[in-house]
Amino acid sequence: MSAALRAQAIGRRRGVPPTLALSKGYMLAGPALIVMAAVFVYPLAYSFVMSFFQWDLSAGSNDFLGLANYTDAFGSPEFLQSLRNQVIFSGASLTTEVVAGMGVALLINGKLRGLRLARTLLLIPPMIAPSVIGLNFRWLFNEQYGLFDAILRNLHLPLIPWLSNPNWALVSVTIADVWQNTPLLVLLFLAGLQSLPQEPLEAASVDGASAWRTFWSIILPLLRPVMFIALMLRIIDTFRTFDVVWLMTQGGPGGATTLITVEAYLLAFQGVDFGHAAAVSYIALAMSLVLLSALYGVPWLLARWRRS
Amino acid sequence: MSDQALQRAGVSISFRVRRRLPIGLMARYAVLVVTIIITVFPLMWLLITSMRSSADLFAVPVHIIPTSVTAKQYISVFSQYRLSSYLWNTVIVSLTTVVCVTALALPCAYALARLRLPGGRVVLFLLLIMRMIPVVALAIPLFAVFSSFGMLDTLGALILTHTAAKMPVATWLLMGFIQDLPKEVEESAAVDGAGTLRTLVQIVSPMIAPGIGASAVITFLFTWNDFLIALTLTSSKNAQTLPVGLTNFVTQYGIDWGPMAAAGVMMIVPVLIFVWFAQGLLVKGLVTGAVRG
Repeated sequence: MSAALRAQAIGRRRGVPPTLALSKGYMLAGPALIVMAAVFVYPLAYSFVMSFFQWDLSAGSNDFLGLANYTDAFGSPEFLQSLRNQVIFSGASLTTEVVAGMGVALLINGKLRGLRLARTLLLIPPMIAPSVIGLNFRWLFNEQYGLFDAILRNLHLPLIPWLSNPNWALVSVTIADVWQNTPLLVLLFLAGLQSLPQEPLEAASVDGASAWRTFWSIILPLLRPVMFIALMLRIIDTFRTFDVVWLMTQGGPGGATTLITVEAYLLAFQGVDFGHAAAVSYIALAMSLVLLSALYGVPWLLARWRRS
Repeated sequence: MSDQALQRAGVSISFRVRRRLPIGLMARYAVLVVTIIITVFPLMWLLITSMRSSADLFAVPVHIIPTSVTAKQYISVFSQYRLSSYLWNTVIVSLTTVVCVTALALPCAYALARLRLPGGRVVLFLLLIMRMIPVVALAIPLFAVFSSFGMLDTLGALILTHTAAKMPVATWLLMGFIQDLPKEVEESAAVDGAGTLRTLVQIVSPMIAPGIGASAVITFLFTWNDFLIALTLTSSKNAQTLPVGLTNFVTQYGIDWGPMAAAGVMMIVPVLIFVWFAQGLLVKGLVTGAVRG
C-alpha cells in the first residue's frame, strides 16, 4: 500500500477527515521545517536581496545597485584570481581523488589481510576537522622545521617552497585536501566493488579478458552510480572548501590560494562589503549547481539523443 | 583457427595470469601498506609534535625521532592559552545540537517517508539544495541577522545555526532508514489504535536505532569540527569554540606549534573514539547518506 493511501486509510478508520491526516504530517515535520526556514532559508533569501544592494550594516541606508555587485565581481582582479584558483583547485583535487580513490580501491579489494584495519584507518581523515588538517599540513610544510623539507634535506633533494611560492601554495593546499578526502572515495568505491554482481566478472575471466579490459568494459559501467555519487559529493564540497585553506594560508601568498569562499569571507569581514560578498557567495553556489546539472544533464541528453 | 581453439588459447592465457598471481598479490599488499602509511603518518607527526619539548620542536636539522617525551604542551594549552572555556563551549554546542537535530529531524523524516505530505517532493528537493550551500553563503547573512537581534557571540546563536545546518543531512539519512522498514509493523500498530506519535516513539524509533545513532554521530562530529560558523558568529571566550581557539596560537611572533599540536590532538580524540566504537554506524551513515544523496 502506498504511503498516501495508507494515510488516508488510517484517517478513515479513525473517523478523521483526510485533511486532518494531511495536517498530521505537517505537525510532525513542522518544527524542523520552521527551524530550517528561519535559520537557513530566510538568511539565504536575505543575502540574495543583499546581493543587489550596497549593504552597510551600521548605517540604516542601503542603496539599490541592481546587478552591479555581480558585474563588479567579474571586473575585479581579486575575484577573477579566486575564480582561477577555484577552477584549478577543484579540477586537480577532483581528478586526483577519483583516480587515486578508484585505483587504491581496485587494488586492495579482495581477501587481503589488514583490509579491515585499513578500512578503519581510512575512516579517520574524512572525519577530522578540516581546520586541524589545515594547521597540521601548515606544520608539515613548514620550511624550517617541517617534516617534508627535513625528508628532502636528508635525501639531498632541492627544497620546495611549499607555502611561500604562489604556485606551490596552491599545490600544497590541494595535497591537504586530497589527503583528507581520497579515503572517503576509497571507502565508497570499495563498498561499490563489493556489491558488484559476480557473474559478469567470472565470465570475463573465463573469456580471458585482461584486467584493464575488465575494468573499462565491465567494472566501470557497473560502478557508474557510485561514480556519480562520488563526483557529486566532491563537486559540492570543493566549492564549499574554506577551513583548510584559511588555516594553511589565509588565501595567501598574494591571493594565490584564495578560493571563491575565501574571497567572499574576505569581502564581508575585512572589506565590510556585505552586498558584494553575498553576490560572490551566490556565484560559488551557481557554479556548483551548473556543474551538477552538467553531471546529470549531459548523460541524460546523450541517452535521449541516441534514442531519437 | 577455430573458435574452440581461440577459446582454449584464452583459457590458457588466463591460467598463465593466475600462475603469476603471487607477484600481483605482493603488489596489492604493497599498495595496502603504502595507503595505511600515508593515512596515518601526518596524524602520527601531529601526535609526536604534541609530545615534544619546545627546544626539540625547533631544532635544525629536524629530529624525526623525539629525544624525550613531555606533557608540557598539553598543560600549556590550559594554563597559558586557557582553552578550557573553548573546549567547554564546543562540548555544549555539539551535544545540544545533537539533541535538537534528533528531536526535530526524526518526526520530519517520518512524515516525509510515511505520511501524505503535500509538497513533500519540494521539501526533499530543498533539503538536497541545502546540503550544497557553501557555509560562507549562510554565515554572511546570519552575521547580519544575529547582529540585528543582538545574538552575536552567544552559544544560542551557534546551536540554532548548527541545528538548522545539520538538519538536512540528518533528515535525509533517517528517512532512508525509515523507508527500509517493513510497513506491516506500523500498520498493525495503527490497527491496534496507536497514534502516529506513539507509533513513531515506541515502534519505529527502536527499530531504526542504528540510523538514529548514525545520524547523531555524524551530526556531533560535523558540529564539533565546525570552524567557519563559529569564526563568523563569535568574537570572545563567551562562545568561541576549540577550532577557533586554534587560531589563537597564531601570534604576531609566529605560531606556537607545540600547544597547537596538543589542541589539534584533542580535537581528533572524539573522531578516534567514534571511529573505534561506532565504525559500523559511521560507514553506514556516510555510505547510506552518500548513496541516497
